[in-house]
Amino acid sequence: MIEVSGLSRHYTMGPTTVKAVDDVSFTIQSGEFVAIVGPSGSGKTSLMNILGCLDSPSAGSYRLAGDETSKLKKDQLAEIRSRRIGFVFQSFNLLPRESALENVELPMIYQGVSRKNRRERALAMLQKVGLDGREGHLPSELSGGQRQRVAIARALAGVPSILLADEPTGALDTKTGVEIMELFHILHRDGATLILVTHDPKVARQAHRVIQVEDGKILADVAASEWVP
Amino acid sequence: MTGSALLENVRMSLRSIRANKVRAFLTALGVMIGTGAVIAMLALGAGAQRSVESSLESLGSNLLLLYSGQPKGGSLVRRSTTNIVPTITEADIVAIRAMDPELVASVAPESSASGQAKFGNASTTVTIVGTDVEYPTIRNIHPVMGEFFLPTDVESRKAVVVLGAQLYDDFFGGMGDPVGQKVRLNGLSYRVAGLMERKGNSTTDLSVFIPISTYQRYIIGAKDFALVNIQAGNTDRMREAQSAIEATLLRLHKMPSLEVADFYVANQLDLLDTLQGVAGTFTLLLGGIAAISLIVGGIGIMNIMLVSVTERTREIGVRMALGAKTNDIIAQFMTEAIILSVGGGLIGVALGVGSSYAFSIWGGLASTVEPMSVVLSFGFSLVIGLVFGGYPAYRASQLDPIEALRYE
Repeated sequence: MIEVSGLSRHYTMGPTTVKAVDDVSFTIQSGEFVAIVGPSGSGKTSLMNILGCLDSPSAGSYRLAGDETSKLKKDQLAEIRSRRIGFVFQSFNLLPRESALENVELPMIYQGVSRKNRRERALAMLQKVGLDGREGHLPSELSGGQRQRVAIARALAGVPSILLADEPTGALDTKTGVEIMELFHILHRDGATLILVTHDPKVARQAHRVIQVEDGKILADVAASEWVP
Repeated sequence: MTGSALLENVRMSLRSIRANKVRAFLTALGVMIGTGAVIAMLALGAGAQRSVESSLESLGSNLLLLYSGQPKGGSLVRRSTTNIVPTITEADIVAIRAMDPELVASVAPESSASGQAKFGNASTTVTIVGTDVEYPTIRNIHPVMGEFFLPTDVESRKAVVVLGAQLYDDFFGGMGDPVGQKVRLNGLSYRVAGLMERKGNSTTDLSVFIPISTYQRYIIGAKDFALVNIQAGNTDRMREAQSAIEATLLRLHKMPSLEVADFYVANQLDLLDTLQGVAGTFTLLLGGIAAISLIVGGIGIMNIMLVSVTERTREIGVRMALGAKTNDIIAQFMTEAIILSVGGGLIGVALGVGSSYAFSIWGGLASTVEPMSVVLSFGFSLVIGLVFGGYPAYRASQLDPIEALRYE
């Protein structure tokens, strides 16, 4: 599903060059549940931005579902994000003036799905994340956990190849965080490809495979059960 | 962009406008005022143009005015022929009357002087106009009571007078039949033969009309005329008639050219052109000022849209992450700007049409709303939305999704 080889992302800041991602290679198969873990400044966010097609690498190759993405233009990247990637953010990033249902419909608007199909699929997604009956609520009328569920439903609505979650439990209390992780396990069991970006080893350990990043390089790439932080 | 995406944009824009009602209203207000002002000002201009046309028509049709002297300061219309040295002779009149009736249909010489009119104890200063029987036809002014004096009155230098409307008010209180009453002009008694219709301009309404022969005997002894009213036989040949008259008079007066002649001919068409030109400039000026206010309204829209883009940076980032392309973002913000400007434009059209009616009903100003001006100003407001909404929308579309997502 994901093939990364020799991937680098360098930022030039005045005279110095920051190697946020430095010559990284790995592959992720369809249906895997991978955690990318590392402290802040390790380069995991830069790596996630490239995996999410929000950014392009300075060097190297990134193939997503067989398509090389490293040389794509802005709108082509947007097309890939629209078709293949579902984002879940730490701060949910729901549109505050749109209802839960309308937030879930959003990615399908950009896919050009008809209004009727959009509505049906959005309702199904909300049901899947356990929010049936809350379709008409505004984000401000929902709890943090519920908001993150809406965000997950929204990420799933576009039927993406991979689900990319950036610290999805970071803004939640422990109990709610556990519930959200359970939801990810269910999604994984149903066949989703999950990439979880976190600084928290406890969260990372719940994935099946851990890619540990530090100073832009991969420090470890092992099964979660064998991982020693 | 599909129709459903467009609908989605309209829905989202309306929601964002509803979330900031006061701000949206104030933003659209600029366009409202601008559009309304353009329509109202163009209506005033068109009204002015119409009233110029109709007041020229009321002068008479196919009118040529042969004046003594030279035009003053390029103006073709002289307010009054009083105190001008008359240079047009009886022989000139005979020659003009003898011209092709296709060119010259009728002729009425006219001389005038200030004089004193008395009726009973009332007394007032009037313009005494000595003229011929064709005057009412040529100048399109007709008696409403009695009649204009007759050819026999002119032949036998009768002391008869036709009163202007203002004098009827002053002497008779605007009531009763003045015909047959005696009015004194410069001390001499005249029988009132008729009363002229009201023209609404003081020069005509404050005049009294007597036979030219009577005028020359009792008012001013001179045999020559200050002004000759001439009606051309055919509208299409007015300029031809003008040239023919000019040529004839140059010959009779033994003058080499019009520049040094002691007469000139004003053509109604030239007057119309001049006055329409003035009214046109006036319209352009008013419309231009109003258009500037519309542009200022557009700048208001741009300003608010830029604020809106900044405020919604994070939202833009989210939309981009979810797959929105450059054009999706542009379309979203353009839709919002266009809704603001078109909404403002629609209300502005109503304001403009309403206020131009108010001008004519309560302000006593002639104003005519032309459908073209509505289309024009509404179209202009749409263009304003496109142009001034375009830049903020473009700015929004060029945001970096990573930066935008991180924006607090």
